Amino acid sequence: MPDSGGLPGFDPFMKFWTDMSAKMGAAGMAAPTPAPDMMAQMRKTFFGSMSEYAEEYMRSEQFLNGMKQAMDNSLTLKKQVNEFLQSGLQNAQMPSRADTDHIVLLLRGMEDRLLTKMDKLTARIDELEADRNGSNSSASSTKAKATAKRKR
Amino acid sequence: MMPGLSWPTTPEAATQQWMKFANKMGALPRAAQIAKEVRVGTTPTRTVYSEDKLNLLRYESDTPRQFETPLVVAFALVNRPYILDLRPGKSVVQHFIGAGHDVYNIDWGVPADSDRFLTIKDYVLGYMDNVVDHMRERTGCDQVNILGYCMGGSMSAMYASLRPEKVKNLILLAAPVDWSCKESLLSLWTDPKYFDIDKVLEVHGNAPAEWLQSSFMMLKPVQNMIEKYFTFYENMENEKFLEDFFAMETWLNDNIPVAGETFRQFVKDCFQKNLLIRGELELGNERVEMRNIECPILNLTAQHDHLVPCGQSLPFNDAVGSKDRKSINFPAGHIGMAVGSKAHRDLWPQVCDWLAERTDRVTG
Repeated sequence: MPDSGGLPGFDPFMKFWTDMSAKMGAAGMAAPTPAPDMMAQMRKTFFGSMSEYAEEYMRSEQFLNGMKQAMDNSLTLKKQVNEFLQSGLQNAQMPSRADTDHIVLLLRGMEDRLLTKMDKLTARIDELEADRNGSNSSASSTKAKATAKRKR
Repeated sequence: MMPGLSWPTTPEAATQQWMKFANKMGALPRAAQIAKEVRVGTTPTRTVYSEDKLNLLRYESDTPRQFETPLVVAFALVNRPYILDLRPGKSVVQHFIGAGHDVYNIDWGVPADSDRFLTIKDYVLGYMDNVVDHMRERTGCDQVNILGYCMGGSMSAMYASLRPEKVKNLILLAAPVDWSCKESLLSLWTDPKYFDIDKVLEVHGNAPAEWLQSSFMMLKPVQNMIEKYFTFYENMENEKFLEDFFAMETWLNDNIPVAGETFRQFVKDCFQKNLLIRGELELGNERVEMRNIECPILNLTAQHDHLVPCGQSLPFNDAVGSKDRKSINFPAGHIGMAVGSKAHRDLWPQVCDWLAERTDRVTG
């Protein structure tokens, strides 16, 4: 395999290039005027090799660490922008995303408590109906549940 | 020399190539018009139930209904559900309608920033359960048939585990349930060593659509960013190809964000901790145990699936309590299962037959 000259992350590309050249040669690259089907075959081989090595590279530690680094940097930048916007909105006494998140969380908490209460009431009604009818109350349970559409 | 572009060695060859190029350039305005006019999701639908951003769509058809039990399609939260009804001749929905099934599709809607706290429990035990209850009320059937595709399949498996009494038959299409198989690049990229989901969601709230789309594109960079356009160039004068191409492109570029908490849970509990197959996943205070599923199941996997390798789907058949279980490993890719010509010719008629054998016919 040719030497990459110590450039980080370059080895997979060098490997790809040498292997691809060998495969292309075998697929008919050496012919002076390749026929159309041969061209198609060569193209298929070329893209096949490229895909194979792209996949190999994307599984490599180098790529994964690079991806993590790039993501961390972009998230840090976005976070700083968010904080800047939030403080700007706060100074202008306008609602920011943090405020809407807070309201949504309050509503969800309220919804959860209400639904828990409703579930308990449904169960209680089922019990009472079962006691009254002396029979299985599964039908009424389904009906009660269907009425309380939102179960989240 | 670039593949596909041969260097002309004679004046005739050069003229020929020039003519070919000129023809393709001449086809550009027509291609642009097709791109503008392409229609997706061709079967007429009617919204029969809505809740928050969710719409339950019923496919309208003149074909007489042959089966009592309705079929509901649950697609993933990351894309639009019309991939299963992309174009005439490439519509999974049309197969079922043609066979006489009453077909519904869950359009989960596009989550806004305020939906970032929606969890998998909200989707499965909230929205999905409400949809199923509505269908039961509407049709008078105690149970429904469910077809879950990709992440929608995982959610359908969760639902069928928690509410088995409401599911008559379950069909999973390229649905991951066991993430111990690390064959897919996604499994590697979501490894906690390289991917901090909490940090992503702290900044973005929801999982952004464009970020999801670029991740999916990067799974097959050569095909998606180079090869596809070579194929497009070669077929620029073929109207049928262009219609299919632009329909597919419309869908591929129609990504939607995923609610933050749902995404966090999916990455952590499924991709990273693999809790579902182990029976350790909890939604609210209910434990998802797939052995509770006792209805007939059909597990469809794609042999060349780069997104959900078969190893992530096949363990489902061993995890359930059903006696009637079948899997079909079809030679197609993840999307090819829904839109591929071969799948429409060989796979979906089989699936319709399987479902027909297990669904009550309309009487009288």
